[in-house]
Amino acid sequence: MELPLTKLRPGETAVIISTNSPPLNPHKHHHRIRSTTAGSAKIGRHYNFHKRLEDMGLTPGTQIKVVRSAPFHGPLELHVRGSRLALGRGMAERILVRVER
Amino acid sequence: MTKKQITIALAGNANVGKSVIFNHLTGMHQHIGNWPGKTVEKAEGTLKFEDYTIDIIDLPGIYSLSTFSIEELITREYIAKEKPDLVINVIDASVLERNLFFTLQLVELETPIIIALNQMDMAKKKGIEINEIKLEARLGIPVIPTIAPSQEGIHDLLKAAVDVVKKRLPTTTAIRYGEEIENRIQKLEEFVQRFELLYPSRWVAIKLLEGDKQIEEMMEKVGRKALSLAKKLREEIENIHGHSSSTVVTSERYEVAGNIAREVQRIVPPKTPQLRNRLHALTTHRIAGYPIMAAMVLLIFFAIFSFGDYTSGLINDLFLSFEPFFKSVCGGGVLGELLWGGVAEGLIAGITIVLPYLLPFYLALHLLEDSGYLSRIAFLMDNLMHKIGLHGKAFIPMMLGFGCNVSACLGCRILETERERLIAIFVVTLVPCAATTVIVLGLVGAHVGFQWALLLYLVNFLVIFALGRIAFKSLPGEPTGLIMEMHDYRVPHMETVTKQTWFMLKEFVKMAFPLIIVGSFVVKLIQVVNLLEPIADFLSPITVVWMGLPAITGIALIFGILRKELALVMLATLLGTADLSQAPGFGPVQMIVFALVAMLYIPCISTIAVLARELGWRKAWIITIFEVVFAIVMGGLAYRLLIFANIWP
Ligand SMILES: Nc1nc2c(ncn2[C@@H]2O[C@H](COP(=O)(O)OP(=O)(O)OP(=O)(O)O)[C@@H](O)[C@H]2O)c(=O)[nH]1
Ligand SMILES: [Mg+2]
Repeated sequence: MELPLTKLRPGETAVIISTNSPPLNPHKHHHRIRSTTAGSAKIGRHYNFHKRLEDMGLTPGTQIKVVRSAPFHGPLELHVRGSRLALGRGMAERILVRVER
Repeated sequence: MTKKQITIALAGNANVGKSVIFNHLTGMHQHIGNWPGKTVEKAEGTLKFEDYTIDIIDLPGIYSLSTFSIEELITREYIAKEKPDLVINVIDASVLERNLFFTLQLVELETPIIIALNQMDMAKKKGIEINEIKLEARLGIPVIPTIAPSQEGIHDLLKAAVDVVKKRLPTTTAIRYGEEIENRIQKLEEFVQRFELLYPSRWVAIKLLEGDKQIEEMMEKVGRKALSLAKKLREEIENIHGHSSSTVVTSERYEVAGNIAREVQRIVPPKTPQLRNRLHALTTHRIAGYPIMAAMVLLIFFAIFSFGDYTSGLINDLFLSFEPFFKSVCGGGVLGELLWGGVAEGLIAGITIVLPYLLPFYLALHLLEDSGYLSRIAFLMDNLMHKIGLHGKAFIPMMLGFGCNVSACLGCRILETERERLIAIFVVTLVPCAATTVIVLGLVGAHVGFQWALLLYLVNFLVIFALGRIAFKSLPGEPTGLIMEMHDYRVPHMETVTKQTWFMLKEFVKMAFPLIIVGSFVVKLIQVVNLLEPIADFLSPITVVWMGLPAITGIALIFGILRKELALVMLATLLGTADLSQAPGFGPVQMIVFALVAMLYIPCISTIAVLARELGWRKAWIITIFEVVFAIVMGGLAYRLLIFANIWP
């Protein structure tokens, strides 16, 4: 079954399909993310969250476990590659995963 | 024997222990704590070893050499341009795979490196056993296991480092990617070799396949033709793999890191649930997490207040018993007045009012930082921070702002975009720093009541939230999101904590006390030549008429611009007593208004300087002037409200 990461239940493990899929319902949360280039400022100009996700080890094919989520659409706690990550919901919505249910 | 000079840089992921090692090596005092992103600027220190003078560079922690955040830029440029003789790659043995991902990139940069396999104790606790000989063989790089806080392995590390520099060991061959990628890297590398490059050609080829903007810009200048070839090769890769070529390269690099990690480590997780994991679950719990956080903060403030209040009284009594003796030594007359009434009063006020609160404050902050709780709070607060256009990580510099706004403003560099840094820095300047806390607890807490001090904090938080929201709404741009590693809880390393606390106190005394002495002397001098009243009168439309404060507070508040606690110390000097409850015309209402204004009214002079550095003078002045006006408005309103409420008739 293919789902956005935010739809996993705490404790479930899945495999990442892509980290750059459009959010399912973009109006629901205002925590949207920037996936292209940032403003005019010199530093941070090429900041790219999609790349950041991959550099943190969230690449396609990676196994990922949702440990818990903070209330009121807060961030998720993930276990990836032996480490513990906090990931904002806006970004988690763009991560498509495959899960066995 | 000739004296030789070498440069060694410390690089690695965030929060792996680079600064602990740096401090041990150089005897310096870089910021240490258990959360990612403390070191934001490179620091430099020196050390003598055998016949070498070694320059050690502490670099910010990063996860990659590609995403182009400030920290990554600093590290990448440093290594590529300054070309240190050696890089010590500090890695966290308990998160091997992620750390090796960065190591592989360093290897690709073709800089000579050795590895400090740090956090060996944490790895062991998590049941991770690493065969460092195998790791060394696999990477072709010397690996030295270390436990930084207790200095285990540090000497070996240094020896190995110097050895490598001395013998000029060849750098290892970089990793090989899958065939489809590897062929294209080689093709591109051959092509770019003909150009004048700042970086190794293979690295440039890889970066071009990853679509690295900075490298593309560089190639634009020195060899445009490479760009079209790179584009063609990227498209080929994309067609084969169905993912962007940058994704494929990153994936493969992680793949290699993962394989190496699996080859060299054996994990037998402990059977019984570990305390730190249970603590983590509890403190990030969706319901329990919040009350626990509130209770922690309250408890800490109450502890600081109780300790401060008690010792402050004790010290004050002690000093008072000296007064007759001191007066008889100084003699009467103008000089005696200047010395006792000025300098001594100022010093006593500094010692009795400031230090008793500052000591427990710094201690608590460092304990909190070293435990690892800050990143949990960031996790819990992510949601709320989005309401002011920031994300959870921004809460960390805000909490550091309670210690000192200056370092907190610098800490805002852990945020990703210019806009977020601007909002965060603005918000941080509104956070009551340790000096402000001294005023709030030492004045309102001690003489009006602890609950009133808490109320002031509450008002301050509401102000931060409201102004933060306004700033967020009025600055165009889209907010980013939280990505943060949460490291394991640790028992705070007491030696580190006390050392850091001691260092901060020492710095404080060094910075503040000369100012206090000079300031008090100047105030007394102004008083002796009868200039005090004209100045105070000049300010009285604001202080007396609008805010209902004694005229003399105007002068105290001006001194507060230098350092915030000076406002209180000078007030004590001006009123002639360290026991401010005895001062005429300065009742509970005035204390509360005074403290509120001091909380909000201006970033102190050092903060203004750092604002200018981070944001430019124009924004620095706008923020400063805005906050002064805002504080005055709030002070007047609070005065009227308190009079209206008629609590202290
Ligand atoms: N148990 C244990 N703790 C360690 C070890 N090395 C460092 N620490 C702790 O790890 C935390 C991070 O250390 P730092 O030296 O501040 O890390 P850093 O790499 O400079 O971090 P950034 O500047 O944020 O990138 C601190 O709380 C240290 O006390 C170790 O070998 N064992
Ligand atoms: Mg550091």
